[in-house]
Amino acid sequence: MAVLAAPRRRRFSPVLLAFVLVPLVVEGFWVFWPALQGFYLSLTDWDGVSAPSFVGFGNFAEMFSDDIFGTAALDTVIWLVLFGGLSALGGLGLALLLQRERRGVGFYRAALFTPVVFSLVATSLIWQVIYQPDGVVNRLLAAIGLGSWQHAWLADPKTALYAVLVPALWRQLGYVMVLYLAGLKGIDPALYEAAKLDGATSRQQFRNVTWPQLRGVNSVVLSVIVIDSLRSFDVVWSMTKGGPYHSSELLSTYMYSTAFQSLRLGYASALAVVIFLLAFGVIVTYLVRAFREDQ
Amino acid sequence: MTSAGLSRRRFLRNASLAGVGALGSSSLLSACATSASSGPVKQAAGAVTVQSNLSSPQAKVAIEALAKAFGDKGGATATINTVASETFRTQLPSYLTSATPPDTFTWYPGSLLSGYARKGLLLDVGDVWQTMGNYSAPFRALSGDGAGHQVFVPTTYYWWGFFYRKSNFAKWGVQPPTTWSEFLALCETLKGKGISPIGLGAGGTTPWIASAWFDYLNIRINGAPFHRELLAGKQRFDDPRVKKIFDPWRQALPYFDPNGTALAFQDATTVLLQGHTGMVLTGTFFADAAPKDVLDDLDFFQFPILDPAIPVAEEGPTDGFFASARTPHVAEVKEWFKYVTTAEAQELYIKNSSGTVLPANPDAKDAGTPLVAKGRKLLSDAKELTQFFNRDSSDALQPTADAALVRFIQKPNELDSILRDWQTAAAKVWQS
Repeated sequence: MAVLAAPRRRRFSPVLLAFVLVPLVVEGFWVFWPALQGFYLSLTDWDGVSAPSFVGFGNFAEMFSDDIFGTAALDTVIWLVLFGGLSALGGLGLALLLQRERRGVGFYRAALFTPVVFSLVATSLIWQVIYQPDGVVNRLLAAIGLGSWQHAWLADPKTALYAVLVPALWRQLGYVMVLYLAGLKGIDPALYEAAKLDGATSRQQFRNVTWPQLRGVNSVVLSVIVIDSLRSFDVVWSMTKGGPYHSSELLSTYMYSTAFQSLRLGYASALAVVIFLLAFGVIVTYLVRAFREDQ
Repeated sequence: MTSAGLSRRRFLRNASLAGVGALGSSSLLSACATSASSGPVKQAAGAVTVQSNLSSPQAKVAIEALAKAFGDKGGATATINTVASETFRTQLPSYLTSATPPDTFTWYPGSLLSGYARKGLLLDVGDVWQTMGNYSAPFRALSGDGAGHQVFVPTTYYWWGFFYRKSNFAKWGVQPPTTWSEFLALCETLKGKGISPIGLGAGGTTPWIASAWFDYLNIRINGAPFHRELLAGKQRFDDPRVKKIFDPWRQALPYFDPNGTALAFQDATTVLLQGHTGMVLTGTFFADAAPKDVLDDLDFFQFPILDPAIPVAEEGPTDGFFASARTPHVAEVKEWFKYVTTAEAQELYIKNSSGTVLPANPDAKDAGTPLVAKGRKLLSDAKELTQFFNRDSSDALQPTADAALVRFIQKPNELDSILRDWQTAAAKVWQS
């Protein structure tokens, strides 16, 4: 406001400059500089105490022969598809269901959004109890006569990853729903009226009005779910630590255990670079396509 | 309006200047993460800070009582800073390499410590050891850095064994076994009564507990010297001698609690105390989480001898303190160390904790219960002591054991590939 009130001059006011430069310098110092250091560290062998020694692309070469890296990469892709896909679909579905103002709809929205407010570590501890051998899930199964389906959900390498996925989804659904609700609210009701006058069915309305209008929100949702799935760590670490024997290992948990348990910070930095490239790649590809369609 | 606008503008300008100022000073502090900061540390007055990972309720109370008694003595004082042990472990390198580290740390002797000592990060406490003439030679050897310096002071140690409830064994009409065949027979009897004979607790975030089985089978069959060499990277995990120890383990596997790899160690303790499992191979620290009233009902038996020709070794992990080489309070730190190694201090600690640890000072009295007396005898009768898997090797090697052993318990038929993968993973840790 103060800037607008000032007389028009070519020179930028120092206040305005400060507003741009100070955050830039802060960001540069606390974000870009450490990030660049991470890139540098990925080319070194470092135990966190002695000076790092330069090894070129040795860390990246090691990934090709590292079975655990293979498992973690595959699990990360599964996670990205299931966590991202299901939370986007489910979030959109819930938003469509709950967008119309009806009695009590506020309650349902709030209920679905509540898990987002909880700390994910607290959430995982509760789900850990739910998954216990004598926990809620197994008791429910027994109660409905499916006792033979009872399972040590987190201890079986076949189910551990999916068991961890459920609480992560449980939380993400509400978040994506709110994003889509905001998007749906922003659509001009006149478009629906016009579509109705033309005799469009509700499916046609969705395909030709709602979906194209949601494009902006879609790119936000995509960025959010890609970033959130690649950085999913807390929920896995607090429930299984990537185990049993690496079956629920994600790139993020493998990076953490490599860095802080094996104390191989160079290799861990290389894993971090891979995670970064994955996230960046997916998002940039999408944005480029989205812009091209706009033109 | 104008004056309001002006004052607001001035405020903004001042604020931004302040921001720049703050930034300038922070960039002065900047040191890139990879450069080891060095230089003399200013002499600062104040209490000795003790970074503690003793976060279980009873142990926390005990160490705080110790700090209070130290302060009441007059002279230096100590403040305890308790950190969750996982955080403590991951932050330890950062603590030690920071310019202003905490003064002292709770920890245990082992390869990690001697590694830090070689990098010059630990305070030489040789003159504290001058006052510790009555300590046994193994403790002295354990506390060295391998290059003639003492960098650690031990305060307590404890033992491992098969723990059970006396009342439950009486109810089931069974006796603790002394040989491996008696052990298997006991398991068979318990299984016949519908009880899971052997509890484990290697689920959730405590898979490391399974390493106790590996350690014991290896020191019983191959002996402690081979065990130490194996963990130091001088032997291979896919060695036939290592493979051999999984034979008796396979005999015991049918008696393991099927939820052994699903329940975390704390839950396995509860299940044992409830009588759903018969016994658990564990260290005495599990008593810190047990209700006080069942402590008297607990008893243990020694891991059965498998080969009488092998000198008997037991796990006797030692705990204590070390100090940062960069501490500005050298005199106070040494005063604190001299205090915690006295019989009086160790008795105070034991009185306030669950009382199942043994004092490192031979003149200090333990809790005096029959359980502790039996534990003390177990360790003093042993020809050799080992620490525990991660202490005898490193915390970096522990996850490789967790992956291998939990997999073996679930899929014993994949042993060959398990040992191969273990060797591959371990080799990476040893190389780095």
